[in-house]
Amino acid sequence: MPPSNPLPPKENALFKRILRCYEHKQYKNGLKFAKQILSNPKFAEHGETLAMKGLTLNCLGRKDEAYDYVRRGLRNDLKSPVCWHVYGLLQRSDKKYDEAIKCYRNALKWEKENIQILRDLSLLQIQMRDLEGYKDTRYQLFMLRPTQRASWIGFAMSYHLLGDYEMANSILDAFRTHQMKGPYDYEHSELLLYQNMVLAESGQYERALQHLQKFESQILDKLSVKETSGEYYLKLNRFKEAEGIYEDLLKRNPENVLYYNKLIEAKQLIKAEDKVAFFDEYKKQYPKAIAPRRLQLTEAQAQSSFENLVDEYLRHGLYKGIPPLFVDLRSLYADPMKAETIEKLIIQYIDNLAKDCTFGPDPSEVKQPASALLWAYYFAAQHFDHKKDTDRALHYIDAAIEHTPTLIELFIVKGRIYKHAGDPISAYQCLEEAQAMDTADRYVNCKCARYMLRAGHIKRAEEMCAKFTREGVPATENLNEMQCMWFQTEAAASYQRLQQWGEALKKAHEVDRHFSEIMEDQFDFHSYCMRKMTLRSYVGLLRLEDVLRAHPFYFRCARVAVRVYLRLHARPRSDAPQTAEPDTENLAPSELKKLRNKQRKAQRKAEQESALAAQVQVKREQHHKARQQQEQGDPEAPQLDELIPEKLARVEDPLEQALKFLQPLRILAADRIETHLMAFEIYFRKEKPLLMLQCIKRAWKLDSENPELVDCLVRFQRWLEESLSGLHPNVAAVLKTETQPMVLGRSALQIAEQSVSGAARHAAALWAARALRRLVPDRTEQALRLVTSLDYPDVTIQSCADVLESLREGDFGECEAVIERYVEACSARFPYAIAFKPAPAPEASENHSEETTPLQPKEITANN
Amino acid sequence: MTRAKIELGDVTPHNIKQLKKLNTVVFPVSYNDKFYKDVLEAGELAKLAYYNDIVVGAVCCRIDTSENSRRLYIMTLGCLYPYRRLGIGSMMVKHVLNYVKQDGNFDSIFLHVQVNNEGAIDFYKKFGFEIVETKERYYKRIEPADAHVLQKTIRLPSTPLVNGSVSHTKTNGYDAGSQQNNIMFYL
Repeated sequence: MPPSNPLPPKENALFKRILRCYEHKQYKNGLKFAKQILSNPKFAEHGETLAMKGLTLNCLGRKDEAYDYVRRGLRNDLKSPVCWHVYGLLQRSDKKYDEAIKCYRNALKWEKENIQILRDLSLLQIQMRDLEGYKDTRYQLFMLRPTQRASWIGFAMSYHLLGDYEMANSILDAFRTHQMKGPYDYEHSELLLYQNMVLAESGQYERALQHLQKFESQILDKLSVKETSGEYYLKLNRFKEAEGIYEDLLKRNPENVLYYNKLIEAKQLIKAEDKVAFFDEYKKQYPKAIAPRRLQLTEAQAQSSFENLVDEYLRHGLYKGIPPLFVDLRSLYADPMKAETIEKLIIQYIDNLAKDCTFGPDPSEVKQPASALLWAYYFAAQHFDHKKDTDRALHYIDAAIEHTPTLIELFIVKGRIYKHAGDPISAYQCLEEAQAMDTADRYVNCKCARYMLRAGHIKRAEEMCAKFTREGVPATENLNEMQCMWFQTEAAASYQRLQQWGEALKKAHEVDRHFSEIMEDQFDFHSYCMRKMTLRSYVGLLRLEDVLRAHPFYFRCARVAVRVYLRLHARPRSDAPQTAEPDTENLAPSELKKLRNKQRKAQRKAEQESALAAQVQVKREQHHKARQQQEQGDPEAPQLDELIPEKLARVEDPLEQALKFLQPLRILAADRIETHLMAFEIYFRKEKPLLMLQCIKRAWKLDSENPELVDCLVRFQRWLEESLSGLHPNVAAVLKTETQPMVLGRSALQIAEQSVSGAARHAAALWAARALRRLVPDRTEQALRLVTSLDYPDVTIQSCADVLESLREGDFGECEAVIERYVEACSARFPYAIAFKPAPAPEASENHSEETTPLQPKEITANN
Repeated sequence: MTRAKIELGDVTPHNIKQLKKLNTVVFPVSYNDKFYKDVLEAGELAKLAYYNDIVVGAVCCRIDTSENSRRLYIMTLGCLYPYRRLGIGSMMVKHVLNYVKQDGNFDSIFLHVQVNNEGAIDFYKKFGFEIVETKERYYKRIEPADAHVLQKTIRLPSTPLVNGSVSHTKTNGYDAGSQQNNIMFYL
């Protein structure tokens, strides 16, 4: 590979030393040698030296200079593979993978067989999921280095990922027969299992099974062999053999729920009685196992049989004092018969335990430990909470606290009861108490912080978390560093409820960045897994990364971001400062005095805070310094813009920003109707009729009855009625035909009217009434009657709060009196919910706590 | 059914709130912050009792060196109502006796009990405690206000005390009325 612009021997030797310095991270020395070459006027513009100087500078964090030098070097020597490679490396360090791929391709143009460049290229291609390109590159690497193990594996994997199982399998076979010699170690075993996975994915279970049996002795992961062969037998309907396998597996682990289910499949048990009998057998065989007892409860259908079984199960749990007993049984509550049976039993236990310390009515029964009554109360409280019977739930939890006031779990459940009853303030106070009882308990600490966020006390939540985050750094910063997403998604939602749009967006962006970072993190595994032969897990990782943003955390933060951006689109933030001086002239002297007092207080507080902030700032700088030193290994990481809430809230293109958050969901969360409804809202505001149509059609496929969707359809139809004539005739024609199956020739008003008359559920009533009133303001009366009724079968705190918010937002015009009456009615229905209580007097709240003020009652709703 | 599990555990800054809750419920006297601060330093002299992993009882002692002798004073020893008569109190007393034995340098163990608290008096008598004195108007805010002093002698004083009738000095001042309390009614 003759450089296009060769250096004389002395300088060439220097250049080689630059390369060595780069590899050994001796960047300062590298720069010295570069200077020695470049200071000679003859070589001042030597391309490859300039490029290397740039790359070295990049490693020292001098990004701008780096780009200058590398580009200058490239300009001076466009035919040098070194310059292109360097440019690619530079782009890669900035995560501009597409650009980097282009550079590598250019480099390969001038030097077709450079292994290093090919390898780097293949990594980028798999990272970007350019599977065809990856296959080509792996092919070349294979041809150039047929003796290397990685060449074979990469080559086979490229076919596997493209779905060409036959080819992948033949390569692996050839590799195994020609290349693999020596001891059968773990890596060999993993390779065999990987090959088996390829076979199974091709759907040839027979062949996969034979393969597995043939190499069983060479595979070290015996559990995998058993589990997969059981799977294959079931797929091949060879039930007898499957049965044997799963019975063996149960011997290894009689608590594995999956094995029982598979065994039922193998035994082809369909009837409930048979399944119950099946579990009886295994209860005898493994008397200490919990799984068969619990699974039997799910299968038991007859009341009498269920009662006997659950009686035994409950007694055992209460005797042992198993705290999650209720959570364990909660899934049974889907069957009302089972819920009733449990209720009957638990009340009977409480009566008898309180009297005689026995579960049953016979006082000569075995006496139970003193804690059994406590756990029975605890269970009953959760039971009635689940039934939404707040009064009885509180009755039992208070009885439990009276019995044993030192049990932390009781306060957590009490908090949860309040939360479900719509009172997040009392809820978090209970959690605070629980937290104080064991400050070393991280679980309670997190729960408490979460409840504080739900109640709108974000500062306090941060302080709570600070008990476990690194000292000297603000809690939020440390939580962000640790990718603590539950906190950030909850905080985003909390800020959204408090209408602090900028802060909410900041949290949403932080979460989004975590997901990007996790995507980035896979880069290292492309070479690592290949080397370590953990190929099954590697393929699993690639598949996980492909759907990463399908994670509920992402969905939640994206939903907050989209809603906030829509809100900012509707009401952009003005640039005026928020706190205007109040008009002091028209105040009575006493009020003026109060105001001055308040201001003085606020000022004092602000001073204290700024002093504290200064301290924190110093610490933060120290921390940053320490971190920078730590991270010298990776100074190349690109700096992201700092997220500033004020700036985020004043974004110029909120709809575009919202779309950015939504885009991954449209692919990965296409099965959630909310995704399409949010997309519709964005496109509706952007007036993109075809995209609106797409959203509506997708949502329609998921659930054509969804009340929000019907409202979208009404608005869409209305929009078409007004604007269709202005559209391109072809577009108009498409819209007409495509909407026909949903619209069925009705006008927007007709659709709305039909949904009004058909509104049997609370949410449907709200959407329908709102649509009607929007279309025909004259019919406000009718709309209000519909929306304020509480005679729906599914009225919840949340649904009422939604209605109330809509009323207050002015969706039905001025209706103060209606609101007042509605709040009263809701308050009677949900006496604990603070959403329907009058706002506390400001004076009182100030004494109570400095922070309650930002919390608007209407913002608080019960969250489950 | 197997026997319930009873264990003793340390008092730490993390769980001290549980001790406070327990004492608030068990004793009619409330203790001030200094009491709890000292308890944290007390090591083996302050213990929580766990019944099936739930805190249900606690014992707090201190070393008293007044009256020319080294004595162990039981400040509080109590158990939640539903868990009484299950051996939890005995376990705590045994822990204290064991501590005194291990140390080997105590003259006696003593405590105060409200005069009408017969259950507690019988309980301590089982362990060899005796009523050595009755103090009138010992408690300020509860009735009856008189207290017995219960004492268990560990070793006889080598140099007999003058008269032996020096009244106990109230030096600790933990409760708001600067009185010591040991309400043993609830064992």
